[in-house]
Amino acid sequence: MKASELFVLVSIIVFIFSLAYITSLGGLGQLPPVNVRLLAQRYLELTWNPLKPFMSSSGYESVTAIVWDFRGLDTFFETAVFYGAIIAAIAIYRGVKITGKGRTTGMSPIARTITRLSIILIPTVAASIALHGHLTPGGGFQAGSVATVVVVLIIMVFGRKALIRKGMTKARILLFRSLGLLGIGFTAVAILLAGIILGLNAYIFQNQPKPFAPLGFPKLYDGMILGGSLLLFNLFEFIAVTAGFTLVLLLLSLGEEEVRGVVEK
Amino acid sequence: MNLSLMTAYVVVISLYVNLGIALYGVFARPSLVKKLLAITILSDTANAFAVLVGYRWPASGTPKPPVYTNTTFNNQTLHYYVSHAVDPLPQALVLTAIVIGLAVTMFIAFIIIQYYRLHGTVDVRKARR
Repeated sequence: MKASELFVLVSIIVFIFSLAYITSLGGLGQLPPVNVRLLAQRYLELTWNPLKPFMSSSGYESVTAIVWDFRGLDTFFETAVFYGAIIAAIAIYRGVKITGKGRTTGMSPIARTITRLSIILIPTVAASIALHGHLTPGGGFQAGSVATVVVVLIIMVFGRKALIRKGMTKARILLFRSLGLLGIGFTAVAILLAGIILGLNAYIFQNQPKPFAPLGFPKLYDGMILGGSLLLFNLFEFIAVTAGFTLVLLLLSLGEEEVRGVVEK
Repeated sequence: MNLSLMTAYVVVISLYVNLGIALYGVFARPSLVKKLLAITILSDTANAFAVLVGYRWPASGTPKPPVYTNTTFNNQTLHYYVSHAVDPLPQALVLTAIVIGLAVTMFIAFIIIQYYRLHGTVDVRKARR
């Protein structure tokens, strides 16, 4: 072992032990804590609170309420970062033609049959996660990740070219992704636009009516909890994330010779 | 020693071991792919820490997920929810961190693949020459 490697190893061990010592002295507070912070108590109290309609969100799930209502703008820019990275990845692969032409060799008939069954089941689960995101744990991003499993399965079992031949071309996936993003953007300003048209006060990212801003997304429909803007945000995020991941997987599964031809030009 | 405290110790110790492995991978492994794997372990460890700090073990009863599950609403059910549910804020922040971490990981993976195509290696020692 060289002296530099030994130095790295000793530094890491000293760093870890000092962090652990700080924790044991109570640097993170009592673990696990008995109480949550005051801010968390407010969030929990206002997630579903018919007694304080001007301050509460409109779903049962506190995490979704924070993600898309209390701190909606955070998530909006986080989505922007996510798509910035995808656009950067696409930019690296510029000039590479993605076609469905040519032979594909898939897996055995057993794998194909099982996949044909599960590519119907998995989107159903994903849709339920997305559409119940304001009631049960889950939401648009999680549902999108689940739905992407279908794409992985198709690429693995039938081959990438089969996916393209079924109509999932790069242009079409980009269209879906843009629709999802536009939907998120539109939901964020929908109440503001309605307020401008009707001549009323309104805010960006407004979910429920506020004092002096009487517009808001519907909370209930026929006794069903709709979640106001939470439902729409989850739905559009689901579409956008699924399309974004599909695009990245399509690029990652490209054959080496196809990309190498462009890179070496 | 009660069970919750012991579980917390085991979790904290294993998280620190994870942190050590991740730092070792980032600093000492020469392969870029190993470095990427180590970075994902590092970010997952940090996320697990955040969730652990937001966890709670209430004085009476067991902790509940931050989902209001009662179909009826009154002050009693609300008080039970607020005094038993875990902190939802770290979970929301971790969700954000996972999404951004995933995007960055994806981008780094693309760069590593492209680097391999151009230089024929992912070993930083060979790349230096």
